[in-house]
Amino acid sequence: MAVALGIDLGTTNSVAAIATPTGVEFILGPRGERVHPSVVAFPASGGVVVGQDAKRFRLTEPHHVIHSAKRFIGQNIRAPLVQLAMTGIRYKVVEGPNQQPIVVVRDRRMTMPEISSHVLLHLKRCAERQLGTQVKDAVITVPANFTDAQRQATKEAGRLAGLEVMRLINEPTSAALAYGFGKDKQQLIAVFDFGGGTFDVSILRLNGEVFEVLASDGDFFLGGDDLDRTLAEVLAAECNRVLRIDPRPHAALMMKLMMGAEAIKCHLSENDSAEGEIDGLDMPNGTTGKLPFSVTRKQFEDLVNGYVSRTIEVTRQVLTAAGLVPSQIADVLCVGGSTRIPLVRERLAELFRKEPNNQINPDEVVSQGAAIQAGSLTNTLVSSGMGARDAVATTGHTTLVGMGAQPGPGNTQPPPMAPPQGMLKRPILMDVNPATLAIQTAGGFTERLLDKNAPIPIEKIRVFTTARDNQTRVEIDCCRGENRKYAENEPLGTLLLENLAAQRRGELKIEVSFRVDSDGILHVRATDQASGAAQEAHLQVLGAPVAEEP
Amino acid sequence: MLLWANRIVNKGSVAPHHLLEIREGAGLDEAQAAFHKVAKMAHPDLHRASLNPEELEVVTSAYAKVAGAYQELRMMRMQTTKLPRTNLKPPTYAPVNKMPDAGMPSGDVKPGVPAGPASAMNSKAIVYYRKAEQALRRGDLRGAVLQIKMAIAADPMSGFLRSALSEVESEIAKGG
Repeated sequence: MAVALGIDLGTTNSVAAIATPTGVEFILGPRGERVHPSVVAFPASGGVVVGQDAKRFRLTEPHHVIHSAKRFIGQNIRAPLVQLAMTGIRYKVVEGPNQQPIVVVRDRRMTMPEISSHVLLHLKRCAERQLGTQVKDAVITVPANFTDAQRQATKEAGRLAGLEVMRLINEPTSAALAYGFGKDKQQLIAVFDFGGGTFDVSILRLNGEVFEVLASDGDFFLGGDDLDRTLAEVLAAECNRVLRIDPRPHAALMMKLMMGAEAIKCHLSENDSAEGEIDGLDMPNGTTGKLPFSVTRKQFEDLVNGYVSRTIEVTRQVLTAAGLVPSQIADVLCVGGSTRIPLVRERLAELFRKEPNNQINPDEVVSQGAAIQAGSLTNTLVSSGMGARDAVATTGHTTLVGMGAQPGPGNTQPPPMAPPQGMLKRPILMDVNPATLAIQTAGGFTERLLDKNAPIPIEKIRVFTTARDNQTRVEIDCCRGENRKYAENEPLGTLLLENLAAQRRGELKIEVSFRVDSDGILHVRATDQASGAAQEAHLQVLGAPVAEEP
Repeated sequence: MLLWANRIVNKGSVAPHHLLEIREGAGLDEAQAAFHKVAKMAHPDLHRASLNPEELEVVTSAYAKVAGAYQELRMMRMQTTKLPRTNLKPPTYAPVNKMPDAGMPSGDVKPGVPAGPASAMNSKAIVYYRKAEQALRRGDLRGAVLQIKMAIAADPMSGFLRSALSEVESEIAKGG
């Protein structure tokens, strides 16, 4: 029996789970941890270290520890925000073929999917050790606003890790699935996903087993990391003032301050003030210093208020796009570690005039939904409201059967049995297209083909014709974005139709089908209407993974 | 289910309500109910394990086509029910996204009208569209809205017109 993993591949942390007849079972790391840092280290001593163990090298070898790879995967390195993100990392990233970012560690060059594949492989190995069986299939979650190239690159990472990626699902949708599956709910909900590196918000209509996403949007470069960095900069200024050393040019020192900032942030989620000192600061002059700090929650809130306001603004826009007002939303799910910040919850309560749901575990719910979807796609899901019960209980940890902190060969569970067909009740996910796909028309304008927030899979067929006599080649510029002017949108690439039969202008009709599949990835197929000959049109997306020249 | 899929795939390009198999002029609720019914029966995920690849492709195509039809109906309703439209900015980079070309009234109109609109709507709609352009040149935003709405009535399928409308409307909302 196949076991399919549900994986929440996060910017800072990843979580994997499988659906079993008794609930959702988490994949534990070597120390029994459920949350696996998405960190890959290439220590001087050789080898590759992933997860909790890799984090240790952040202080000793900051240039060899790759974190936040999700911020670069499938991105065009020349994009302004990618350039900005590069100022926040201590490892080396250079431009590779097709403008994709390449990580350089000593003399090794690696693509971002390769880095992420190490994280996935780590999870796969943990799962295999825990379950005592081979794991081949997986459902991986991605931010709702991930682009085509980012989705393709994530699938590529799965493939490199030896996983068959059955489906990519959007993180907010996955959370909604864990929340509502098997409960036969009829309501509108909002999922507010504020994680380590990304921010998404989705509005869904739950209708029994149907999960329909009505609208979704987000900000790809906004997350807990940004809050940490803001606080770390304050600490850096403090360091400069008190210790008379500017830490900013020193990678290890800044990393230490970032880690301090993260700890202060977490502390302030439960306390009104944080006081203490960051010690063990290795100064450039060879001494070891310590930096006292004192931050109140109010000060922290003033510092991050701009970021939080931005998330609330996006939430309003998504509600408008769904054609709804806040009072129509029955429940607000908070997903991602940054939703633990009291200010975020206060602002949400203010917007929706109700407290956000506090029954779900913001770190685990996304992987639970992915596990349910994985079980559903492999026909190994049982109907009896499984998953749902476990997913919403904060204390649901106890319902996991037989899984102690020391997984071993004697502690493995038999894989779930396939239930009889009649018992199957499977969720139907109706996810949406993350961004409008348009083509360039004469005069530099665009024509929309596939709308943002349209249900996927979706297909649109357009007929193109030649503009000159004996034209054997047609080029169609594709872009992503809402603007009417082509130049104001993000170019996707040029679609090439070649080797056309030479005919008078306007006589040749080429039918082009644009399809966004269930993973949110665009496929283009062109058919010559006269001959019926199909040709796979090729759309080279900038920043998408391509093999690097040796 | 396969019969349904084949029927849909062979329908060619027809009006959205034909693909959803509902009456013409049906409301949004009806369209949604029809689409949910289709999803419960034919969502490709449900058949991933039980159909062979060719059959699955037919079902996926049919579902994708119906999804396109549902979206078209939904967009039309959204426009006609006049929802409060904010100008949704794409989440993508473009640090200072300068406003779209509703700056037309300021007089920087190119003499040659771009050939774009002509291919994006039918001949009836283009007449209204040209009038809208004239109104914009005069700086009469509301007049332009009226003309674009007339154009949409003449050619409800044109996405070009709908985006033009939302652009001008957002300009008005900003007090332009």
